[in-house]
Amino acid sequence: MRRKQAGIATDHVAFEAFYRRHVDAVTRFLARRIDDPHTVADLVAEVFMAVLDSAHTYRAGLGTEIAWLYGVARNTLSAERRRVFKESRLTSRVSGRRPLDTDDVARLEERIDAEGPAREVFKAMADLPEGERAVLELVVIDQLTVTEAAMALGIRSGTAKVRLHRARRTLRGLPLVMEGTPG
Amino acid sequence: MSFEEQILMELKAEITARAERRRRTGRRLFTGAAVAGLAAAAAIAVPLLTGSERSAYAVTKNGDGTINVKLNEFRDADKLEQDLKRMGVTADITYLKPRKTCRGDRGEIVGGGSPEEWKGSASEKAVRLLPGGGMDIDPRYVGDGQTLVMAFTENEDQTSEKPRVLWQFAGYVVNGQVKPCVIADDPTWDDVDGPGRPPAGS
Repeated sequence: MRRKQAGIATDHVAFEAFYRRHVDAVTRFLARRIDDPHTVADLVAEVFMAVLDSAHTYRAGLGTEIAWLYGVARNTLSAERRRVFKESRLTSRVSGRRPLDTDDVARLEERIDAEGPAREVFKAMADLPEGERAVLELVVIDQLTVTEAAMALGIRSGTAKVRLHRARRTLRGLPLVMEGTPG
Repeated sequence: MSFEEQILMELKAEITARAERRRRTGRRLFTGAAVAGLAAAAAIAVPLLTGSERSAYAVTKNGDGTINVKLNEFRDADKLEQDLKRMGVTADITYLKPRKTCRGDRGEIVGGGSPEEWKGSASEKAVRLLPGGGMDIDPRYVGDGQTLVMAFTENEDQTSEKPRVLWQFAGYVVNGQVKPCVIADDPTWDDVDGPGRPPAGS
């Protein structure tokens, strides 16, 4: 299984299958966090580019493909946020955008709209400590199990459970917070 | 074409480009002003073991702050560069096929002006080869804005009973930008005592 996973970084056929299996989930994952179609499309490309770099870090025994992939997506996103923060202080980012046709933009906007409630919950979570917020995010918003969320974050499952519990206690007023799969 | 298909195409092109880069890494070349290159070249006889599951190299920190690199196979130069970078040394590592060298210069070599200048220079001190296929790198001699350029050339004769040189090594420190190098035949390959010997002067 580990060999097969590593193959996606070098084998066109294996990569294409992996990409088609998950491109929609990754797009939605990003649409839950970002409301600009161009940025979402750019980041979809970035996430799968990061997959090529880190395919060797996947261990089948530790969790599902999607948990691993969300971990990669989170890292890509925080790298992007650091970069944007740095750049915003220097220059506005105008060039180098991926050209999207109107259909693309429309489809992306649909997804971004569909994920609107999730982005609202993000705002509510903003004040939680980073570690707790990360677990809550993956479980409640991205629908990972606690074990999968732990894998995506590279922490122990027990730690993830404790953090999830604390985060839920803090935010018990929000209905969405209690959703998400157990485990 | 939808953006998803567009991205897939780009990523496939990237996979191809990476495969190409990996293929080329083995041939990426080193060069150097003749004097420094020759002064730095040293040869060492080591048995190169090639177990398939073995990692290409191992990097460890010595008690005195130097970094020990043990080479098992001439591959994964990029990864080794990254590992050294993490340990504070900017390095440019090249694994060469036998009889190959590089044309042109790779940049401003520290101590590269003359053999006198070379003696005791950072270039000379930055790397110490050890018997058995390893080397100690001293980060203190590779400063900010400098790069440790190292090139290893494989010998095609890995098996004969003759006194063997399995690979050659050239290493030096470059100030500022390290230039890429143009592959060329190494005219000095056969100069000293037949094939596989280090270039004259080493």
